[in-house]
Amino acid sequence: MIYLKSVLNVIDNSGAAMVECVNVLGKGNKTAGRVGDRIVVVVQSIRSAKLLAQTSAQNRVQRGDVRHAVIVRTKKEFQRQDGTVVRFDDNACVLINKQGEPIGTRIMGVVARELQQGYAKIVALAPKVV
Amino acid sequence: MRTEIDSFSGNRIYPGRGKLYVRGDSKVFRFISSKSASLFLQRKNPRRIAWTVLYRRMHKKGVTEEVSKKRTRRTVKHQRAIVGASLEVIKEKRSIRPEARKAARSESIALAKEKKRAEDAKKKAEKAKLAAAGKTTAAAKFSKQQMKGAAPKVAAHSR
Repeated sequence: MIYLKSVLNVIDNSGAAMVECVNVLGKGNKTAGRVGDRIVVVVQSIRSAKLLAQTSAQNRVQRGDVRHAVIVRTKKEFQRQDGTVVRFDDNACVLINKQGEPIGTRIMGVVARELQQGYAKIVALAPKVV
Repeated sequence: MRTEIDSFSGNRIYPGRGKLYVRGDSKVFRFISSKSASLFLQRKNPRRIAWTVLYRRMHKKGVTEEVSKKRTRRTVKHQRAIVGASLEVIKEKRSIRPEARKAARSESIALAKEKKRAEDAKKKAEKAKLAAAGKTTAAAKFSKQQMKGAAPKVAAHSR
């Protein structure tokens, strides 16, 4: 359940560490964001330079940047078609550009399988998909 | 359709039942009910919760059927020949009946006694001869150690 003011972890190497949600795209008014939803975020904190060495200078984000992101993990449980209820330990997202491609080149941690539709690139980069 | 097993209790989880919890370290846990989920999150040890599979396995509950199926192992002993007695000799000796053994034993005892008696008589005769010839008193009997004498004292060479 991600909505305005929700803080999420960023699990790629785009440079951002924590982002704050500003808007949930493609949903009705006051509908919370779930795994696989696209959101508009503001970068609140960035990661140390060591990790950023891999991303190019263009792709690196700064504090205060407004970017798009896709939610990959939520602490609020969600249900799948087969009835499985899934819950993660935190809220996490991956920064993307306007076309839906991830800005970073690596993804750290696990992502939900719901991303397979629409964000296949992220699923391909992820070390583990649940 | 695939049945999972509960990470805490070991129960079978059919699809549509229970919860899947992904921890911060990306480890996946499945729970069949809020009971097992709650106990897990309270960090209880399933080995100490009596109704879990782990506990039952540890305390060997309800496994009597499996135990009886196990085949008992029996070691087979082989009789081996020893240096000094071949296999046949051992078998022969073993098969002697007790009366025969007793008879053989008493025989050998009698023989031994005879022998001893003869020897004693011989010795006596010799002694008598000596006494008659020498007329000397029987030499005092010294023990071996007395004959050896005292050991020489070790001279001191160093301080």
